[in-house]
Amino acid sequence: MSALLIAALGVPLAAFLGLALAMWFGRVWTEGVVSGLVIGAAAISGLSGVALAVVCLVDGPGSAVLGTWFAGFPLRLTADWLSVPVVVLVGLLGCLIGAFSQRYLHRDPGYRRFYLLLALFVAAVQVVVLAGTLDLLVVGWELAGLASALLIAFFHHRPGPVAGGLRAFITYRISDIGLIGAAVVEHHGGSHTVVGLLLVWAVLGKSAQFPLGGWLPRAMEGPTPSSAICYGAISVSLGPYLLLRNGVDGPAVIAVGVVTALYATLVGRAQTDIKSSLAYASMTQIAVVLVEVGLGWDVLALVHLIAHALLRSGQILRSPSLLHDHHHLEQSLGGPIPGTGRHFERILPARARTWLYRFALERGYVDAFLVDRVVGGLVRTVNRAAVAEERWVDRQAVTR
Amino acid sequence: MSAPIGDLVEHAAHLLPEQGPLQTFVHHNTLHAFEDLPFHDAVVRAGELFGAQPFPTEEELHDHVVLGRITDADLVAVVAEEVADDGLPVVPGGPTRREFHVHRLRHLLDVPRGPSLRWLLAEAGDLGPTWAELLAAAPKVVPTAAAAPRPRDRVLAETGVDTDTLVHPLLIRLAGAFLDQGVAYWPMPARDQGFLAAFRHLYAKAGGPPDRFLRGLGATLREQSTWDAERTVAWALTELEVPEADWGEAILATLLSLRGWAGMMRQFEVRPDRAPVAAQPARLVDYLAVQLTLDLFATRHVLAKAPARGAVVEVTARPDVELAYEAFVLAQTMAVDPTPDPAAWLALVGDCDGLRRRRLLHAAYERRHRVGVLDGLAAHQRMSTSDNTSVEFQAVFCIDEREESLRRHLEENTPTAQTFGFAGFFGVAMNYRGVHDIHSRPLCPVVITPTHDVVERPITQGRAVFRKVRAGWSHHVGVGSRTLARGGLFSLGLGAVGLASLVGRCLFPRQAQRFSHRLDGRYPRTRLDIGYTVEEMVGIVGAVLRTTGVLAAPAPIVLLVGHGSSSMNNPHESAHDCGATGGGRGGPNARAFAAMANNPLVRAALGLPDDIWFVGSYHNTCDDTMTYFDEDLVPARSVAELDRAKTAMAQACVFAAHERCRRFETAPHDLALDDALAHAQTHAVDLGQPRPEYGHATNAVCVVGRRSLTRGLYLDRRAFLVSYDPASDTDDALLTSLLLAVGPVCAGINLEYYFSYVDPARYGCGTKLPHNITGLLGVMDGHASDLRTGLPWQMVEIHEPVRLLLVVEATPQRLSAILSAHAGLARLVGNGWIQLVAWVPEDDAMFLFRDGTFQPHLPETTQFPVVSRSAEVYAGQRGHLGCAHVLAGVELPVPVLATAQEVR
Repeated sequence: MSALLIAALGVPLAAFLGLALAMWFGRVWTEGVVSGLVIGAAAISGLSGVALAVVCLVDGPGSAVLGTWFAGFPLRLTADWLSVPVVVLVGLLGCLIGAFSQRYLHRDPGYRRFYLLLALFVAAVQVVVLAGTLDLLVVGWELAGLASALLIAFFHHRPGPVAGGLRAFITYRISDIGLIGAAVVEHHGGSHTVVGLLLVWAVLGKSAQFPLGGWLPRAMEGPTPSSAICYGAISVSLGPYLLLRNGVDGPAVIAVGVVTALYATLVGRAQTDIKSSLAYASMTQIAVVLVEVGLGWDVLALVHLIAHALLRSGQILRSPSLLHDHHHLEQSLGGPIPGTGRHFERILPARARTWLYRFALERGYVDAFLVDRVVGGLVRTVNRAAVAEERWVDRQAVTR
Repeated sequence: MSAPIGDLVEHAAHLLPEQGPLQTFVHHNTLHAFEDLPFHDAVVRAGELFGAQPFPTEEELHDHVVLGRITDADLVAVVAEEVADDGLPVVPGGPTRREFHVHRLRHLLDVPRGPSLRWLLAEAGDLGPTWAELLAAAPKVVPTAAAAPRPRDRVLAETGVDTDTLVHPLLIRLAGAFLDQGVAYWPMPARDQGFLAAFRHLYAKAGGPPDRFLRGLGATLREQSTWDAERTVAWALTELEVPEADWGEAILATLLSLRGWAGMMRQFEVRPDRAPVAAQPARLVDYLAVQLTLDLFATRHVLAKAPARGAVVEVTARPDVELAYEAFVLAQTMAVDPTPDPAAWLALVGDCDGLRRRRLLHAAYERRHRVGVLDGLAAHQRMSTSDNTSVEFQAVFCIDEREESLRRHLEENTPTAQTFGFAGFFGVAMNYRGVHDIHSRPLCPVVITPTHDVVERPITQGRAVFRKVRAGWSHHVGVGSRTLARGGLFSLGLGAVGLASLVGRCLFPRQAQRFSHRLDGRYPRTRLDIGYTVEEMVGIVGAVLRTTGVLAAPAPIVLLVGHGSSSMNNPHESAHDCGATGGGRGGPNARAFAAMANNPLVRAALGLPDDIWFVGSYHNTCDDTMTYFDEDLVPARSVAELDRAKTAMAQACVFAAHERCRRFETAPHDLALDDALAHAQTHAVDLGQPRPEYGHATNAVCVVGRRSLTRGLYLDRRAFLVSYDPASDTDDALLTSLLLAVGPVCAGINLEYYFSYVDPARYGCGTKLPHNITGLLGVMDGHASDLRTGLPWQMVEIHEPVRLLLVVEATPQRLSAILSAHAGLARLVGNGWIQLVAWVPEDDAMFLFRDGTFQPHLPETTQFPVVSRSAEVYAGQRGHLGCAHVLAGVELPVPVLATAQEVR
């Protein structure tokens, strides 16, 4: 079992390191070699997951200790009903998206960088999934966050993607306080409730839950396949997985899920571009999964998570064909496509509709509050302090 | 008041992109608004206005010099044409003006500028007396401030804060919501009252957005609720303290800051019929009013928060160090001593600046291409090609350059076949509604407004009900999966289906598409209801058959081949369709034409023999499949002949696909002939394929003349081929109408590719990979960018940016007469947007139109490779290829390949 566990996360990691070394030393491998390496690594990782499933069915769940990081911090990997299906999912999607991107990114100047980051992402997620301790999980969590922020900023010669990547990166950092805090509290024997709340804090950012979800539509600046694997499927699913892994449930989780589900479904309805619309759809379903987690329906939550990942990543991959599909749909229906949103008009009075629509179009004003008021306020305070200090220093210099 | 707001907006509107919604993509000259200017002035002027590149970069052009794509002869010839020279050295012992220019073009010199130059000079210490003299003689320049017509530019310069970062995201959301054709679940309220009204409706309500820069917006909007857009614009400009004299410029610059969205508003205003689903009452001035109102609030906010520092404006004149240094380096590399007359040397160096070098290099690049093609045409015409007496079938194709290879392969494989080129609507300008279409659309060139309706009527039932249920279900899933409750159910229930589709689409794209297609069932058997009178039909059929020359000697089977393209993962799908049908698919036109020509009354009127039959067909240029229409109507005597023709076409399609695949780097060099179709078809149906086909990327030439002159000439899918027989056109009427149609259409395609290639960021829409379809109208980069117009990089990456070389089989006198009678055409040709060549094969003479006259073309190469099959020319090659004679059945080997290789 240890060999399989190590293979599941070690092979993608080795592929990443191999690619990174080759690029560091300026070796230019052909597109086929680069993508083949990553696809193969993801496939082996997924197959190890399948083998782990067999072993688990025969011998029951198990874990392997790879040694000790330092005293009190064992490197433990766990294979059980929760981690094994997700390992298979991540390997499978990594392999499929890798194969898809062979054609999609063909001739792009960033081809190798894309596969490098994809390998890092897959390896990091496998670490998160298989980690038997919170400390090891943090390592994977950080690497996955880094890889996805860099994938958002893939087209770094334009300001938009870089801003989007930075936004995701900052959100991740803020929510990481929760995760690292949870690890620290756990080591000091803190109460389960505190650990749980800190983990929920970590989930807010990673799974783009209210009010930290503003980075998710901005994450669609990257190439379509990376959007599909990260934000349609795996990256946003890591939040619920973290809670399932650590057995966190209860009213706080439900509250986050309910608020986000309502928020995201409202906002998603006013989005006029296909990728933002799908981003909010993902956010909605992840929130529903969180509700299931909060209610303690763990199996349902896991099934929902995996099924949603498969459906949504397919939809994002298909999004550039929207015009083709729309035309085909009109032809097949033999008439105009029926309008949507009529409940909205039937149920709500006009005044409320206008208000609600503006709320949705403005994405719930979250950016205005968070960025303009909270973060902006902080920046302004710091600036004011800096100015005051400068003045004080000047005055000191004068008096002296 | 200087001019009414409406006029200022009208004026600005001309400079906005003219691209409509992507479903009906029509190629047009990106700089159509500048056609009054000569090409070289226009690209520079537009480049300044849009911040775009006028020509390919000097580095790229210089690479062509290194690779021999631009030869020394080209550089010398171009410089001789463009640079005045008195034959005397500019400084004693130095080069003449022309010698200097040729040297400058031949060698790429990377002269440091700005800070790096300052650093270099500081490090270098004393550079000697030459440098001192040059620096002393260098002209003094005052740094010019960038033009700042918008208040935003001023605020940016003074405070360092860009108000557009506040305004644009909101404006993009609003414009997207207003124009949305059905992506959003909730439509924007009150949008049927116009953009400004909808904006006021949403934002005048209390409890508005908490953004600090929008404070007070609601109250202002409530006060202005009865104002019209013009008044709001005037108010905002006054409040922004723009002097009235500058309003025009400010309005233009404001609209250009998000020109994609502004342009789409304009398109909805002037062409509401092109809206894919429903046209909202859009007005550009409404949009401008909203943008200026937001600009005003943002400006006030920024100025209130960050008081103006006042921009630092430099007014001291300083010597032009960059020029002096460039002159210094050039003097060294050319071993010239400029000290006797440093000012003359500096003037010479300054005269040959970056822009001029790029212009000259580009002219040399175009010249090499032009000479290669003209020499190839002339050489081919001198080769005796035996005329075929027995013609078994004829095929009339669209003039599209992508059909060139299909025609060549058809004639190569089937010597008894004859092909013709005519604009792919075949003279049938109609509003067409197919059996599955929900509304009719015009299928004819955009300049024509069709007056006839043609409807496709089913005569047998397809699987309509099953198809409808399936479509309804997939729509339900598509919409429902994005909602809350239904989304939960669907994602739980359809995960397995999602997995199957994901595996299929990622790993087995062709099989997955075939499976999905099979579920749709067969296409029902149909007929066209053609509402034309017999006289009209005689007119249409007669004109096409006469112009092409079919009427003189019709074969037993005459195929009409319309074309279009179907692909996945391609928002720009309709840009690959037939330009002559206004971005539609030309199959129905071919079919309608065949039905007309088979009408007994029409035949009688035109004197067509009874034993011939016309068959309409459709060529899908993306997967190289053929569809034939109304085969059940073919009389028994013609069935065998049609079958032979179909076999020949199918074979030619395989060869054409094989030739086309060489451009795809994913296809191996030794791609087997049998795998070619499968390879092409995979490209068409793959969700992961950003290059379904290369479209018009290879366009460069248009030949108007008899096919017998070009039959068997390898033109590498680069030439629009228009059939025209000068002998049957005594009064130039046919030629005039051909040129009026072909000139602007081909130039539109050619120039759109030119600009999208030369500046993919400004004129084109950049790489496809992050594209995000918005509102079923167009694409953005990511979640909130300007609407990107033009062509994506993946479509144009292999393009050679040369202006269309229009070669017409006519004497210069006849062409001059036509030009002087038609101002539009004269403008395109006279201003150099097209390179026009008069070709008189009888005299073996060609004349290039330049500087208002036709000047004789002197051939440089007379020998081209001679092969027996096209495959021998292109095998193992990816790049553009020069001309070659493909003479099926001729004894080989004939001339040397080496000389001809250089012509490429």
